[in-house]
Amino acid sequence: MNKILAVIRREFIERVRTKSFLLGTFLLPLMIGLFGYLPQLLIRRDVSTRGLIVINAAEGTAAERVVEALRASRIGEGDLARPRYTVILLPAEGRAEVLRDSIVRTIGLREGPPGAPDGLLILTEASVTEGKVTYLGSNVTSIRDMSAMERLLGPMLREERLRRVNADSAVLRAAELKLNLDATKVSEGKLTGQSAEAAFWLAYIVNLVMYITLLLYGMQVMTAVVEEKSNRIVEVLISSMTPFQLLLGKVIGVGAVGLVQLAIWGATGFYLTTMLGSRTSGMESLAVDGTAQSLTIPQVSVELVLVILLFFLLGFFLYSALYAAIGSMCTTTQEAQQANTPVTMMIAVGMISMFGLINEPSGTMARVLTFIPFFTPIVMPVRYAISPMGTLEVLLAALDVVLGLLAVTWLAGRIYRVGILSYGKKPSLKELWGWVRTR
Amino acid sequence: MTAPVVFADRITKRFAGHTAVRGLSLTVPGGGLYGLLGPNGAGKTTTIRMLLNIITPDEGRVVLFGSEGTGRDLSERIGYLPEERGLYPKMKVLDQLAFLGEAKGLSRWDARKRAKSWLERLGLGEWTLRKVSDLSKGMQQKVQFAGALQHEPELLILDEPFSGLDPVNSQVMRDVVVDVARSGRTVLFSTHIMEHAEKMCDGVVIIARGEKVVDGPLAQIKHEFGKSHVALTFSRNQAAAKRVLADRNLVAHADDAGASAEIELAVGAEPDALLRALVQADVGLSRFEVVEPSLQSIFIAKVGDAAQPAMRQEA
Repeated sequence: MNKILAVIRREFIERVRTKSFLLGTFLLPLMIGLFGYLPQLLIRRDVSTRGLIVINAAEGTAAERVVEALRASRIGEGDLARPRYTVILLPAEGRAEVLRDSIVRTIGLREGPPGAPDGLLILTEASVTEGKVTYLGSNVTSIRDMSAMERLLGPMLREERLRRVNADSAVLRAAELKLNLDATKVSEGKLTGQSAEAAFWLAYIVNLVMYITLLLYGMQVMTAVVEEKSNRIVEVLISSMTPFQLLLGKVIGVGAVGLVQLAIWGATGFYLTTMLGSRTSGMESLAVDGTAQSLTIPQVSVELVLVILLFFLLGFFLYSALYAAIGSMCTTTQEAQQANTPVTMMIAVGMISMFGLINEPSGTMARVLTFIPFFTPIVMPVRYAISPMGTLEVLLAALDVVLGLLAVTWLAGRIYRVGILSYGKKPSLKELWGWVRTR
Repeated sequence: MTAPVVFADRITKRFAGHTAVRGLSLTVPGGGLYGLLGPNGAGKTTTIRMLLNIITPDEGRVVLFGSEGTGRDLSERIGYLPEERGLYPKMKVLDQLAFLGEAKGLSRWDARKRAKSWLERLGLGEWTLRKVSDLSKGMQQKVQFAGALQHEPELLILDEPFSGLDPVNSQVMRDVVVDVARSGRTVLFSTHIMEHAEKMCDGVVIIARGEKVVDGPLAQIKHEFGKSHVALTFSRNQAAAKRVLADRNLVAHADDAGASAEIELAVGAEPDALLRALVQADVGLSRFEVVEPSLQSIFIAKVGDAAQPAMRQEA
């Protein structure tokens, strides 16, 4: 037992000390954060107050309403809120085009300091009756600027239009309602309170996390085995402990590194999404479609986390055993990288199956895949993320993997035990079977 | 009488296609140095691996210290230096040794302490915090040697311990090994360098093609080999000397190295007769000595000519 602990500790400490671990653990989330955050920084420019000249050639109160709405629009929230526009209203008095031309000529509508006029809005009768508004400015390519303006003008002009046909305030309110398809996931006859979109993203992320971690840490076990073999240190070690103890220590050590790395990534990810989430909600009026949607942060239930952890651990042990067996058959890392294709393919199949699962999480394919131990570790958490199943089904699937795990570990252990002492060419299938049967 | 430290009873190991070790029995008494000799491919490493239970014999059994457990169960009492040396290249020397100590059941603290003192003893004190890959090959060998010795095992099993070492380091290691044996512990080592075995060993076992050829205390083996051997050196006329040595009435077998030879007299032949023949042949005799047979000649006589090319190659 102490020997296994020694192996675990060595594996853990030596791995955590490497540069690649530090880089991978801290730089990756930093880069992801940066890539997420950088565009936000870049569009900052657009968030300064813009100066707007409105030429009013429309009748009635349309222009007043629009200007009021423009002036009320704010960038940011709370103390940091600034007005989005400074507005100068000019009555056209029948010479809108002359006014327009002289403004373009004299002011030029170039970008200047915040608040300096760089945009020209022309409201005409057609604006009210047909919704046609003319805008001139240097920033017409900015989708955000344009949609922000559309969002502000639309309701005001619609209201004016309705007012002209003498609609009462109840009709006005009724007309303001927008379509909002609120799709909510139902599982086991219960409302989950989870939106369809969030469920998709959750399943997608879970799938990706399972795939990447199984592959990454499985490969690490394999590389560790090959290196130990090519360093020839393995012989000294297995004179003092059983190959199984060594293998177990190695797998647990690598697994622990993986968990630490996942935890750091997870914590950073959580921190970044909440931080960015609050930031984007501050800029929510910038969003293209104007709804109060920022990042869809999927709801993660405790049960789902437990299911993910359970199947990550089971899957990790299952695939590590396979990767270790592959590693033990090879003499060099390059050789092992070629030999591991069948195992890697199995993980990939599990991952790809997700796209079928999302359409039919309880279909025949889903059920069949769930009970093939090699796919269960990926399929189960994904299915659970889409639509949670009962505890019994989860435990049955887990039991299924455990049985598969026992068989695979037994087989892999027997191959490993002979393989780590065999050098030279890779064994044929017949020779492998001979290894398994060796006393 | 106390149980032998190592006792192997007709152990056999087959690999796909061939039998590496066949019905080998071995008894190593406690204390002293014991050599496991044999040409390349004789099954020395396989035998050692079976003794340590790294691989399981197909037939037969191994008993260590007269106890029930296998080599792995008893690994705290055994030190092992495999033929293929290896360390984790990226680990610091001290961490590496401490880990090897822990694998032998030492506590972490104790393992570090012992590792430090062994590194000092082998002249690697300044290198404790360097990576293994920074060390020269000879230094790495020393580190591994320390790894086999640091938990003060009662039984030290070394597979080709002196191969690949320069004469100075080889001498350092041999001194350490002899020290261990003098302190009453047992050292079993394999080698194909007969001079080392002859100088160091109290007992030897010679194996060839997976089978035991001869074993026992060195003196007894020499006594039982029992033939009269003559060591010769001549300064001229080697062709004439060769003719004399080819005379089967006088010489049963000659280990001829040109200017010198060790010969085994034919049955019934007297040393005097050989001396007379050589003087007549005018070979400028500078040495004529009736000697005990050397381990080398015993080895060659027992193992046969098949082993010779392989030995010349490596010696």
